[in-house]
Amino acid sequence: MNAVLAVRQYVSKMIEDSGPGMKVLLMDRETTGAVSVVYTQSEILQREVYLFERLDSPNREPMKHLKAICFLRPTKENVELLVQELRRPKYSVYFIYFSNVISKSDVKALAEADEQEVVAEVQEFYGDYIAVNPHVFSLNLLGCCRGRSWDPAQLTRTTQGLTALLLSLKKCPMIRYQLSSEPAKRLAECVKQVITKEYELFDFRRTEVPPLLLILDRSDDAITPLLNQNMYLNFAEIGTNIKNLMEDFQRRKPKEQQKLESIADMKAFVENYPQFKKMSGTVSKHVTVVGELSRLVAERNLLEVSEVEQELACQNDHSSALQSVRRLLQSPRVSELDAARLVMLYALRYERHGSSGLPALLEELRGRGGTDRYRKLVSAVVEYGGKRARGSDLFSPKDAVAITKQFLKGLKGIENVYTQHQPLLQETLDQLIKGKLKDSQYPYLGPNTLRDRPQDIIVFLIGGATYEEALAVFNLNRSNPGVRIVLGGTTIHNTRSFLEEVTAAGFRGRSTDSSQVPPRSSSRR
Amino acid sequence: MASGCPAAFGDPSEVREGFLCPLCLKDLQAFRQLQAHYEEQHSGEDRDVRAQLRNLVQKAKRAKKKLLKQEDDDRTGSGSQEQYESFSYGGVDPYMWEPQEVGAMRSHLSEFKKHRAARIDHYVVEVNKLIIRLEKLTSFDRANTESAKIRAIEKSVVPWVSDQDVPFCPDCGTKFSIRNRRHHCRLCGSIMCKKCMEFVSLPLASKLTSASKEALGSHTSPNSSPSSVHGSRRGSISSISSVSSVLDEKDDERIRCCQHCKDTLLKREQQIDEKEYTPEIVKLYEKLRLCMDKVDQKAPEYIRMAESLNAGETAYNLDHANDLRVEIQKMYEFIDALSKKILSLGLHEDPQPHPKILQLQRMIRYSATLFVQEKLLGLMSLPTKDQYEELKKKRLHRQVALETQGKQEEKQKEFISISASAVNGDETHIKKGTVRKSEGWLPTSSISRESERADPLLQQIDNITSFIKQAKAANRIDEVHTLQENLMQLQEEYDQQQTLKAIELSKKQAEEEEIQREELQVLREKEWKREHHKFMSQHSRTRSLDFREVKQHLDVTLIREDTRGDTSFETPAVEQLQAKEHMTFTLRPQNAPQCDKDQDQPACLNPFEDEADTPQVEEDPTNPFAKDTSPVVSFSNTAQQSDKKEYNPFESEEEDEQSNGAPGSTSNPFEEDENPFEKPGGSWNSGNPFEEGSSINPFEVEDGSEISGEEAIEEELLLQQIDNIKAYIFDAKHSGRLDEVEVLTENLKELKQTLAKQKEKSNC
Repeated sequence: MNAVLAVRQYVSKMIEDSGPGMKVLLMDRETTGAVSVVYTQSEILQREVYLFERLDSPNREPMKHLKAICFLRPTKENVELLVQELRRPKYSVYFIYFSNVISKSDVKALAEADEQEVVAEVQEFYGDYIAVNPHVFSLNLLGCCRGRSWDPAQLTRTTQGLTALLLSLKKCPMIRYQLSSEPAKRLAECVKQVITKEYELFDFRRTEVPPLLLILDRSDDAITPLLNQNMYLNFAEIGTNIKNLMEDFQRRKPKEQQKLESIADMKAFVENYPQFKKMSGTVSKHVTVVGELSRLVAERNLLEVSEVEQELACQNDHSSALQSVRRLLQSPRVSELDAARLVMLYALRYERHGSSGLPALLEELRGRGGTDRYRKLVSAVVEYGGKRARGSDLFSPKDAVAITKQFLKGLKGIENVYTQHQPLLQETLDQLIKGKLKDSQYPYLGPNTLRDRPQDIIVFLIGGATYEEALAVFNLNRSNPGVRIVLGGTTIHNTRSFLEEVTAAGFRGRSTDSSQVPPRSSSRR
Repeated sequence: MASGCPAAFGDPSEVREGFLCPLCLKDLQAFRQLQAHYEEQHSGEDRDVRAQLRNLVQKAKRAKKKLLKQEDDDRTGSGSQEQYESFSYGGVDPYMWEPQEVGAMRSHLSEFKKHRAARIDHYVVEVNKLIIRLEKLTSFDRANTESAKIRAIEKSVVPWVSDQDVPFCPDCGTKFSIRNRRHHCRLCGSIMCKKCMEFVSLPLASKLTSASKEALGSHTSPNSSPSSVHGSRRGSISSISSVSSVLDEKDDERIRCCQHCKDTLLKREQQIDEKEYTPEIVKLYEKLRLCMDKVDQKAPEYIRMAESLNAGETAYNLDHANDLRVEIQKMYEFIDALSKKILSLGLHEDPQPHPKILQLQRMIRYSATLFVQEKLLGLMSLPTKDQYEELKKKRLHRQVALETQGKQEEKQKEFISISASAVNGDETHIKKGTVRKSEGWLPTSSISRESERADPLLQQIDNITSFIKQAKAANRIDEVHTLQENLMQLQEEYDQQQTLKAIELSKKQAEEEEIQREELQVLREKEWKREHHKFMSQHSRTRSLDFREVKQHLDVTLIREDTRGDTSFETPAVEQLQAKEHMTFTLRPQNAPQCDKDQDQPACLNPFEDEADTPQVEEDPTNPFAKDTSPVVSFSNTAQQSDKKEYNPFESEEEDEQSNGAPGSTSNPFEEDENPFEKPGGSWNSGNPFEEGSSINPFEVEDGSEISGEEAIEEELLLQQIDNIKAYIFDAKHSGRLDEVEVLTENLKELKQTLAKQKEKSNC
């Protein structure tokens, strides 16, 4: 289930198959990304791969003493370029690997171009995604939907990426999807179609409990990518890391001075010297990062902003929230994006509140000056992820257990005001693991349903995942024995890229002064 | 995240722990790296081994968890609790997920080949047909044959398309007329206009036909027949050319053909050219890989040997280990030199090579540097012969001690022990004292007399050191004090002397280098000129590195060492020579006397250093092997010099300096490389009073040798540290971390001072 390892093993296999000798790695834009996240340059150099080229790069010099390993997506352009390449080969031998299923006609076209018999291998290696972490992958697609339906090209690419992941992990899953989302259903169907069509490929050893693919839609939780929580988690982590590092470092420092007294110490020093050196580098790097972070935090008043964000996301006190947002909007130190973010969160949270302060807030946002863009985005975000779009209730607790939980939480007090928010995904996955996820909201595709609790879970977020969710999945992995979860998204978002995603989806917001979303004639039920 | 912080920091005392690869014993710092390493390096290996590894991985995982928990406890103790708390949850960190098999894959090769074969068959048949026809067309003496006859032959080779069938030129579409006449391709018989007509020259034709003959393996008439055709043709040109110019239609030097046939033939020609041509870089690269493979093969073997030897075991022979070490060291030198050579390929040609080619060369050099850095630092040093003897003894004694301890206990049970041990103690004490006092302080009584010092100061220092030892043994504290003061002064004096000498030497060295560089420049220019005369093959042979040659040279130096070792008179002279040879400037001379002092042995002439410093050896008129070494030297120096002229991102300025300094400093880890002719010294040692005592009293021996053994080891340790630091300096210089070099040099100095202090202490 390790995505990084899966791609790595593919690359290793390619290099291995090509035998000894100097090699060049020919890639396209996307495979370059896929390879570079799993292999470092010095690692790959040690395996005799000395050059990295783009197939579409115009100034490649013929070097007949090199072997070429081609790792390419099976696109029309790539096949065409490869046909040209084979007609006049620049390298001695070609080992060709496609990152996905390639059509028979393309294979034929390539074969006919290979008059000089330079091709030694043609394979499909399904490394067609960016393996960010062992449990996180991304397709690096921004703007996958137009309105509430797929951009056809992006749907194809997403299907390819997702099936490639399944193949590389050797999983033939049962599929569940979020009923409220049309794109989720479409994607589920497309993936099923590929599995049916390429049944020979998906014929893996059966496991007791079949793996599960859960397809969700970002619009169900537009809050998470708007929060700055991520940063605080990182901040906290860096902080503790630094603390530990400093402790280690300090423990070693006096030793350095003592070293002349005891030879064992000296020996230890010398043996640890490279580590020591590395450590001092790490310490200073971390300190620099934190220094810069804290400068930004102070400059942009981020602690306060974040506190209000969390209040908006997790609590239910309209008047105090409105007051806080107002207060921050008046502060000149709060950046334009942060201000807009607060208003967006407010708009999402109190969308249908009786005494909505949104018009006033938007007015204030305008009063701060700056571009119109963010103001327009407020309504766009509401349109994207508002109540209308949500299938599940993002804010109010769903059942008695959750209500009790929140109540208890309120009693206990909150440990960290900056990290109260839990992404919706955590809740969804938690229920899934416990076998409690409702079939009515997340139906199975096809007649078969899972009896047992799932073990291997692949969850995919249309519209992009966030690092906060990646962390949630990481923690779920660590805290649930026997369960392995891999999270994927069309991309990995921060607030900025999320807003771009919303813009790209075509939700532009009609009027700047009104929170009223004009009714859309969409295919939604 | 949590696994990012390697737990491997802790114990320096551990020998080989941590995440070692079970197959190549490489230490990989963290579990994840080990996993990655394994799946990369050994995934192709045996299934059994794999299963074994999986087992091991499980264990390692458990161990790691335990370790982390332990660390967790530690941290809780020190106040920070949050670090690894989540490990108690029972789930699995995604970074620790089980290794998985390679993902799905599907091959299209057979289908590809099927399609290609159909195409290729067609293509190959086409080419072969053309070449057979071409051969027929050139197999007779065209020049001396009438044009009518030629035409007849040509028509017999391939039927010509009849003129009426082709009213327009099929290539350009112009209409044929009386002015725009039809021409026939002699290879396929088709028709084209004059503009579209191409020619195949006879040399090209013979090249193509002879190449395919070779390919077919027909050894009966290889190159001879086409070339003989050449000869006869050439002879006839002058006589017939006038006629042929009149007869426009007659081609005695070329064969008409259409564009398509010509294209096909040219492609074929290109293929032939490529097959025969091996670029310089490939030759060098193959050698480079060969060296790397050898290192990969030998280094683990060596490490195994060195570990065993350093533990005082007798499973391996010390000399063998030394040989192996020298051999490996040699490989590193080759790797360095070859990769530099690759780096500088083509930099002096007029149109500079394509940037991609240069990039390739840089990358190869970079990876070679990485390789050397990674592996060289892992090479541990060997004990000297003496040290080895000590180690062996110590090991033996440890065993003996265990036994005697057992015996002693038995004895105590028998109630005899107390009185007996008391008597023993007195006896030895008296014995020691009396013997020494009556004899007075002998210079170097317990030290090998062979170690004749080149420097009178050193001799004196040695003498005093041994006086101190003896005085100490006799409990004459006041004398020890005065002697020690004396010693200090002497050492200071000596150090100063050495520093001065070193400065002088380095100056001289710089001058010599300058001269050499100039000479080499001239030489190299000559070489380049020669290269332009296209004596390519010969040239590359002289320049490329021949291993046998160098190995021979190595053997020779070893032999030379032999002879030197036997005649101990020569030693001082050689030592001086050696001092001159050192290129490490101040570092080395400071170090040398200390080594000498501590180890009480003549610093041996390292064969490896010899090789590195050959310029000096070359100057030595008595050296009969100068010729053997010179090719190597000029080779590495040219590489060096060319380095200077190009921009290299991986090497900063001092890389050049480095290449001079490097051999010296790289060789340093081997400084204490053991002189195989120390044996006489060893046997001398056996005559020392400690040993004698040992035969009488087993308890006493144990004490005495234990102490001296420990001292020796501590010093050895220091020396090892010095060597290590030198290796780091080398490494740092290599990657251009100047500040680090400075710090390390500082450290080195400190270490040396400690060494001196240590020495003193041990004397007190």
